[in-house]
Amino acid sequence: MSDDITRTKFNREDARLASTCVAGGLLLALMTGPAGTADAPLSSAKTSLFSGHVWGFLAFGIALAVVSVWRRKVRNGEWVSRRESPRRSPSVFVGNVMGAMSNAWWIVAFVVTFLVALLVADLTGPYVPNKLSFGQLFTQLQDSRTYGYIVFLWWIVNSIRLRRSRAARHGVLPAFTRSAVFRVLAGGVGGFLFALGADPWLPEKFSFSYFTFHNNSTTAFLSHLPTWLWTGCGLLLGVRAVLADRNKSTHSNRLRARQFKMSSNTRVALYGVALFAAFEAPKFLSPFWQEAIFQQIGIFCFLAIGLNIVVGFAGLLDLGYVAFYALGAYVNAYFSGALPIRPPFILNPFLSIPVAIVVAMAAGVLLGLPTLRLRGDYLAIVTLGFGEIVYVLANNLQNITGGANGSGTIGNFSLNIPGIRFTLDGQAISQDLNFYYLLLAFMIPILIIFTSLNNSKVGRSWAAIREDEVAAASLGINGLKYKVMAFAIGASTSGVAGVLASVKQGILFPSNFALQVSITVLVLVIFGGMGSITGVLIGSAVIGWLLQFLLFHSFIDYQDADKYMYIGALLILAMIFRPQGLWPATRRAREFHDAEIGLGTADAVGEPAEGPLA
Amino acid sequence: MSNELIFDVKDVTLRFGGVTSLNNVTLEHRRGEILAIIGPNGAGKTSLFNSLTGVYQPQEGEIMFHSDTRGSHSVIGKLPHNVARLGIARTFQASRLFNALTTFENIKIGIEARQKTGPIGAMLKLPRTRHEENLSDEKALELIEFVGLTHRLNTLADSLPYGDRRRLEIARALGTEPEVLLLDEPAAGTNPSEKVELTELIRKISREYGVSVLLIEHDMRLVMALAERLYVLNFGSVIAQGTPEEIRANDAVIEAYLGSAHHDEAKESN
Repeated sequence: MSDDITRTKFNREDARLASTCVAGGLLLALMTGPAGTADAPLSSAKTSLFSGHVWGFLAFGIALAVVSVWRRKVRNGEWVSRRESPRRSPSVFVGNVMGAMSNAWWIVAFVVTFLVALLVADLTGPYVPNKLSFGQLFTQLQDSRTYGYIVFLWWIVNSIRLRRSRAARHGVLPAFTRSAVFRVLAGGVGGFLFALGADPWLPEKFSFSYFTFHNNSTTAFLSHLPTWLWTGCGLLLGVRAVLADRNKSTHSNRLRARQFKMSSNTRVALYGVALFAAFEAPKFLSPFWQEAIFQQIGIFCFLAIGLNIVVGFAGLLDLGYVAFYALGAYVNAYFSGALPIRPPFILNPFLSIPVAIVVAMAAGVLLGLPTLRLRGDYLAIVTLGFGEIVYVLANNLQNITGGANGSGTIGNFSLNIPGIRFTLDGQAISQDLNFYYLLLAFMIPILIIFTSLNNSKVGRSWAAIREDEVAAASLGINGLKYKVMAFAIGASTSGVAGVLASVKQGILFPSNFALQVSITVLVLVIFGGMGSITGVLIGSAVIGWLLQFLLFHSFIDYQDADKYMYIGALLILAMIFRPQGLWPATRRAREFHDAEIGLGTADAVGEPAEGPLA
Repeated sequence: MSNELIFDVKDVTLRFGGVTSLNNVTLEHRRGEILAIIGPNGAGKTSLFNSLTGVYQPQEGEIMFHSDTRGSHSVIGKLPHNVARLGIARTFQASRLFNALTTFENIKIGIEARQKTGPIGAMLKLPRTRHEENLSDEKALELIEFVGLTHRLNTLADSLPYGDRRRLEIARALGTEPEVLLLDEPAAGTNPSEKVELTELIRKISREYGVSVLLIEHDMRLVMALAERLYVLNFGSVIAQGTPEEIRANDAVIEAYLGSAHHDEAKESN
C-alpha cells in the first residue's frame, strides 16, 4: 500500500500533518490561556501571547507532530514496517508505541495536556479572574484571538485535507472516522465553528467566564445562544451519521451496524445531546439541582460506573465495593498529610489519583484472586466481609486513620490551570461549577474507555462467562482472569471516586465508608440497569435527585438515615415493575427475557447458568 | 503420518466416591481420523469427554495430547480453559450456546479466545485490537458460511432452531482453531434431513480443516456412515474397538448394546 507514496524523508503531507498538530497545540494554548485583566492586559509581559503556558502547549503540539509523523511513516512502511519484521526489535517497539499513542490520541492528548497544564500552573503564577469590558475584549481580540482564529482555521482545513488524501489512498475513510468517538469530536468541532461564527459574545467562550454560572432561570438557558448552537450541532451530527450509515458498504461495517440493536445514528445523536446537556445545562441550574449534582449525583456516577463493570459486565456480586472507595480516599488523605501518619512527601490530589488507582487495583486483585473462585452468594459474603474489615480498620486504627474522630483537612486540587480554578476552601468546592467540570473531565474519558471495553473481546468474554462459564472455558476463556480483571477495573474506578469524594468532603470519617454505601451503589446499578453505562448514569441521577429532594423538602422529620427507607421502597417498586432496570443493556435485557421464558437462569446478579464447574 | 496419535489415553480410571465412571479406559485417536465412541446410556461416554477436556480429573491413568504445533501435553491436571488452548475444542450434549448473544457474537467469542488483545488494548482501541477485531470479523463470517448459517447472522442464539444450534456450536468450537474436535451427540434431537446435513458437515470439517474428530453418538446410521473406527463403552470399560464392520460383527457389542439397535435397524429397513 506504500507503493504510490513518494518515499521522501519528509514530504508535503508530513508537513501538513505536523503543522496541524502544532496548530492544535497553539489553539489549546489560546483557548485556555489567561485572558488578562484591566490591570494586567495581555500585552503585558506576564500574560502575553507567549507566556509560559503557551510554550507548554506549543511543546505539546510539537510532540504530537513528531508522534503523528512518526506513526504515519511507520505505517506506510517508509521507516520500519511492522508486518515485514514481526520480531520485536526496539525500533519496531517504539514505532508501535508511537502508533498506539497517535491512534489513541484523544486519550494521550487529554493526559499530556493535563500534565503540561500542571507544569504550566507553576510557571504562570496565581489565577487572574477575567473581568473584562467589551471594549477590552475587543482589544484582546486584536491582540491575540485573531491569531487563535487563524490557527484554528488552519487546523480545521488541514484536518479535512489530510482525511481526504488518506481516504483517496485507501478508498474508504480510515476506520476511526466511523467511530462514535470521532463523530462526537467532529460534532464538537462543528458546534465550536457554529459558535465562532454566530455568537457575538464569543470571546467569552475562550475565557474563564465560560465556566461560570450564568443565572438560574430556564429562560436564560433557552435564550443562551450556545444552547441553540449545540442543538444545531447535535442535529447536524445526527444527519451526518444517517448519511454515513446509508453509505456504509464495507463488510465489517454492515456487521457492526447490525450487531447492536440501536442504530449508530441514533446513538450518535444521543451522545451529542448528552454532551450538550453535560456542558451547558449545569450553568443554568437552580441551587437545588446544583447541590444535587455536586453533593449526590457526581460521585454516585463514578461509583456506579465502576460497580457496573463488576456486577453488570462480569456478573459478580460485590458487596464490599466501598472498601476500594475508602482506600482511594485514604490514599489521598495520606498524601495530603491529613492523617496522623506523615507521608514522605505531599502530593496534589491530581497526582495521588494514579497512586489511588494502583492501590485500589492491587487490593482488588489481592481480594479477587482467592475469592473469585467462589460463586454467587459466597462471593457476596466474602466481599461483604472485606468491606467491613476496611471499615473497622479505618475506625480503630486511631494512629493511622485518625479513627472515628476523622482525618485532618484534606488538600485540595490546588491548581491554577487557566480555565479550571479551585480555591483552597474545601467547603466552596461543593458549590463550585469548576468542580463539576473537573468531574466531567474525568468522567468522559472513563465513559469512552468503558464503552469500548464492553464492545470488545473483553466485554464479550464477560458476557460469555456470565452466561455459561463451562462453555466459555471450553473455548479457552480463563474465567478467573476475566473476573479478576473486572474486579480490578471496578476497584480502581472506585479508588478515583474516593479521591474526588475526599477532596469534596474535606474531612474523612470512617462512617463515610459503611456498608450502606456499598448497598446504595448496588442499588444505583440495579435500579438503572445492570450492564448499561447509560442506565447506571440514569439510576445515579434519579436516586441522587431523590436524596436531594428528601433533604430539600425535609418533611415528616426527615433524618439522613431515613434515606435508605426511601431507596428501599424505590427498589421494591423497580423490582416489581421493571426488574431489568430503567435503561437495561441490550444483552442483559435479552438474558432477562431468556430467563422468563425458561432458557438459562440469568438471575439478578448473574449466577452462571448451570452451577459450579465439575 | 496418519498413524500418528493425537490422543493417547491409557488406563484412565475416574471415580466419583464409590462409583467408578471410567474403568481402565485405553483409547488411541489417530491424527485426522473420525473416531466414534458409542455405548448405552450411562456407559461413561460423556465422562470420558469431560476427562479429555479437563472438566473431570481422573484418579488414575494418563491422557496425552500430541499437538502438531504445541508439542505433547498431559491433559490431566489442566484446567478446562488451558486444555482448550492446547487445541482441543468440544461441543456439549445439551448445546450450551451464549443465548443472549447473536450467532455472530457466539462465533466471535470462540475466535477471540485465541487472540492477544488485553484490557488496555480493548479500552484504548490500540492498533492491534482493531486489527484483531477485523480478523475475527472476517473469520467469523467465513465460519458462519462454512456451517451454512449466513442467513442467521444476527439471530439471537436462543431463537435458533435445534439443528442450527448444533451447527452454531460446532462453528464456535472451530473458531478456536482446534486440532481435535470433540462432538458430544451432535445429532441428538435433529430430524433426518438435518442428520444428513450434519454428516456432511462433519466430513467437511475433517476434510477441509484437517481437524481430527472424536464423536459420541447414539444414531447408529450416522456413526456407521461417518466413523473410521469405533470404541464401544459399557459400564465405564471399553468392550470393543475396530472398524464399523468389525463392530457390527462383534458378539460382545451386539449383546451389550447393538443387539437392539440392529433389530431396530432391521425393522426400519423392512
